[in-house]
Amino acid sequence: MSTSEHKQPPYMTVWAVLFVLTIGEVFFAFSSVPKRWIVIGLVLMAIWKAVLVAMYYMHLRFEPKRMWILAMSPLPLAVILVVVVIQEWR
Amino acid sequence: MMTTQAATIDRVREEGSGVYTLKLGMWIFLLSEVMFFTGLIGSYIILRFAHPTDFADPGQVLNVQLTAFNTFVLICSSVTMVKAFAAIEQGDQVGLKRWLLATIILGAFFVGVQVVEYIALTSEGFVPMAEAYAALGREHGTTVIGGPLYGATFYMMTGFHGTHVTIGVLCLMFTYWRARQGKYTATSHGGVEIMGLYWHFVDLVWILLFTIVYLI
Amino acid sequence: MTGGTGVPDGHDHEEPSFIRKYIFSTDHKMIARQFLFQSLFFLVIGGLLAAMMRWQLGFPGQPMPGGGIFPDAMVAPTPEGAIMLPEFYNSLVTMHGTIMIFFAIMPLLVGLFGNLLIPLQIGAEDMAFPRLNMVSFWLAVPAGILMLAGFAVEGGAAGAGWTSYAPLSTSGEWTGVYLGQQLWLASLTILGFSSLAGAVNYITTIINMRAPGMTWFRIPLPTWSLFITAILILLAIPILAGALIMLLFDQTIGTGFFRPDVGGEPILWQHLFWFFGHPEVYILILPGMGIVSEVISNRSRKPIFGYHAMVLAMISIAFLGWIVWGHHMFQSGMNPLLGTSFMISTMAIAVPSAIKTFNWLGTLWRGNIHYDTPLLHAVAFVSMFIIGGLSGIFMANTPVDMYLHDTYFIVAHIHYVLFGGSLFAIFAGITFWFPKMFGRMMNETLGKVHFALTFVFYNMVFFPMHNLGLGGMMRRLYDPTEYEFLQTLQPMNKFVSISAFLLVGTQVLFAFNFFWSLFRGRKATANPWNSNTLEWTVPSPPPHGNFAEMPVVYRGPYEYSSPETDDDYYPQNVPPREHPPVAPAPAPFTPSPEPGGAE
Repeated sequence: MSTSEHKQPPYMTVWAVLFVLTIGEVFFAFSSVPKRWIVIGLVLMAIWKAVLVAMYYMHLRFEPKRMWILAMSPLPLAVILVVVVIQEWR
Repeated sequence: MMTTQAATIDRVREEGSGVYTLKLGMWIFLLSEVMFFTGLIGSYIILRFAHPTDFADPGQVLNVQLTAFNTFVLICSSVTMVKAFAAIEQGDQVGLKRWLLATIILGAFFVGVQVVEYIALTSEGFVPMAEAYAALGREHGTTVIGGPLYGATFYMMTGFHGTHVTIGVLCLMFTYWRARQGKYTATSHGGVEIMGLYWHFVDLVWILLFTIVYLI
Repeated sequence: MTGGTGVPDGHDHEEPSFIRKYIFSTDHKMIARQFLFQSLFFLVIGGLLAAMMRWQLGFPGQPMPGGGIFPDAMVAPTPEGAIMLPEFYNSLVTMHGTIMIFFAIMPLLVGLFGNLLIPLQIGAEDMAFPRLNMVSFWLAVPAGILMLAGFAVEGGAAGAGWTSYAPLSTSGEWTGVYLGQQLWLASLTILGFSSLAGAVNYITTIINMRAPGMTWFRIPLPTWSLFITAILILLAIPILAGALIMLLFDQTIGTGFFRPDVGGEPILWQHLFWFFGHPEVYILILPGMGIVSEVISNRSRKPIFGYHAMVLAMISIAFLGWIVWGHHMFQSGMNPLLGTSFMISTMAIAVPSAIKTFNWLGTLWRGNIHYDTPLLHAVAFVSMFIIGGLSGIFMANTPVDMYLHDTYFIVAHIHYVLFGGSLFAIFAGITFWFPKMFGRMMNETLGKVHFALTFVFYNMVFFPMHNLGLGGMMRRLYDPTEYEFLQTLQPMNKFVSISAFLLVGTQVLFAFNFFWSLFRGRKATANPWNSNTLEWTVPSPPPHGNFAEMPVVYRGPYEYSSPETDDDYYPQNVPPREHPPVAPAPAPFTPSPEPGGAE
């Protein structure tokens, strides 16, 4: 396991950040900011959390670069599907 | 045609992904899972965009406090899972078993809370069936909120996520059983690592679902 | 090592029990053969369904020969015989398409050739996850049983077409099919899991288990094509699975995803289906392209023209395949902006397709062509793919498609690429790798007769369909004579039908050749085609574990008629003669204890 050569990743720090972000999301969702900004902010926070989990808990940060490419490969397709189909109702 | 004279030479396979095969297989499986949830969440986003009035604002129908707590439980289970992995990396058998058990309990608890939530929601008329849909507002209690697509997409997404958690808990139990037999060591613990990959992926999906379904 | 059905040398595996060896086998070659037999069974079923449809179209309202064996729910008994009912015709259309695509062509290309070729061509002893591989096959079996069970339940088999468009498919109210449609959905969902298990296995195996020296650009083209196909399967099938499950819920518990009566969106089904469906089209043709590249290069004893271009063309076809799905939906009333973008991206696919076509021609050009059965089928693939590809460009044009949509022109196009393309490639592949699978050669004469008749009858069936379509004949039509403007086309329909019966009948020759050669064929040597790739360096059929020792690869797979060797082929694992290297490859120019090693 290549990860054993590294210093142990900051698992607890990541957990703390995830916790704070979750609380932050809930409060932000019910704040009086315009809906558009709430949506953007929430999506950004969710992506931040997801990236943290993938990077540290799934150890993507410590994998070879080609694994990054592999892991990212379906994301463009996901975006294409949603963005294109949503045009039907614009 | 066999080059028998070279038999003694140590032959090494082409360097492929740079990770061992079991882990690569799990990652590739997870890619298909990404597309599966893309189908479900993408349908929800598209339907919500097409029929905004069929959906409710956060907190009107769904219980955000309870689910925020449940999200916290699932994030904690990710930490315990990664702790189990860190333990076996050091060869710590006791730690592995303890943290695996904690993950199982937290995962089962998450599913349990979801079942309680489902029961409460269905009793308030929030059901997936189009003809029977009659969701009551959380605050006013009597107004029908949203439309049939809301119930259908909600149960579709959370239900399939819950199924994944349930399968994960079962696999964790299998991993725990193997750990009790001492099958994992400091040098050989691929099973724990790919279990962790699956578990964290399910957690990651929930992070997105919680935001998209409950908060937006 | 010389030919013959060799014994596994250096591999002392204990003989597995009958069940472990033939039923629940984890050996990739056995799983390949299991897929072969299952798919051939479904190919027969699908062909018979097509023949029944052709009877109705050629001779509408006339008693079907042998129709008396069907229950009253499918046929209307009259004194002269049994006449097919429209509901049964709907089931035939649906089941012919579904069975041929999901249970015949796809498992033949991916299940059979994927399992057979990938480990052998990259020099691996088996798949990365042999037990997962076994699960993959044993999920396909119940899926097939569920699919066929549709014919036995009340209401008959699914009748909403292989695309199962909503809202037609969301309720039995419209088609009269309740349980059959649900069985269809369940069967395809299970089959999806089977394909996913296979795809995970193929991708992992190809990435991580290549023999030393087998760099990415030394991988034989069939394996390359199967790698790309597996990626398409991996990413496309989950979308279908999600959509199928949503449709199943619409049917069973009454959700409203695709039901307009309760506010759902039928067009979402079309988008999800074709977002899967168009990659699926390439899943069905890319392995065929790989097989044909191998056969053409080998049988014309020339290196494949533009190996890198071939690989890159396949990659770009696979990528473009994700952004063209809307061309199936020009008539759905979609956003015109989307329609135009889909039209342009669709036409862009013609570029890599043309690159491949010209490369095949370039490979054949001035080659030392051996006209045996695999080559004939492969060349038929190329020529039929050209016709199918060109008719595809007609339909890619939105304004032209407005006229052609849902006519027999579409039916002609899909059969030119699926039968003329994929199935000819499958015939080429089966005849080419039959010795490797079973250790015996197929009969050449029978093979050539089968090829010639199939080729002629095939064109007699499907070419007139272009004209039928341009004449306005709709697809999925029960009785063309009901429309006055189609009555003049009826002689052509009769011609097509009779040709179709002959085409189906001709396949008996193949079946006979297949089973006769299985038991009575000439014993095959290890390398009957003088091929370069690694699967021909092991005995036919290869022993459990494939390679006595891990092979070392020194060169690309298509070094035919190389000036560096006296033979006209130069196997990938033969060390270079003048400068024998010390393994591992690629480290040439170092002396070796003895020269050669090529025998």
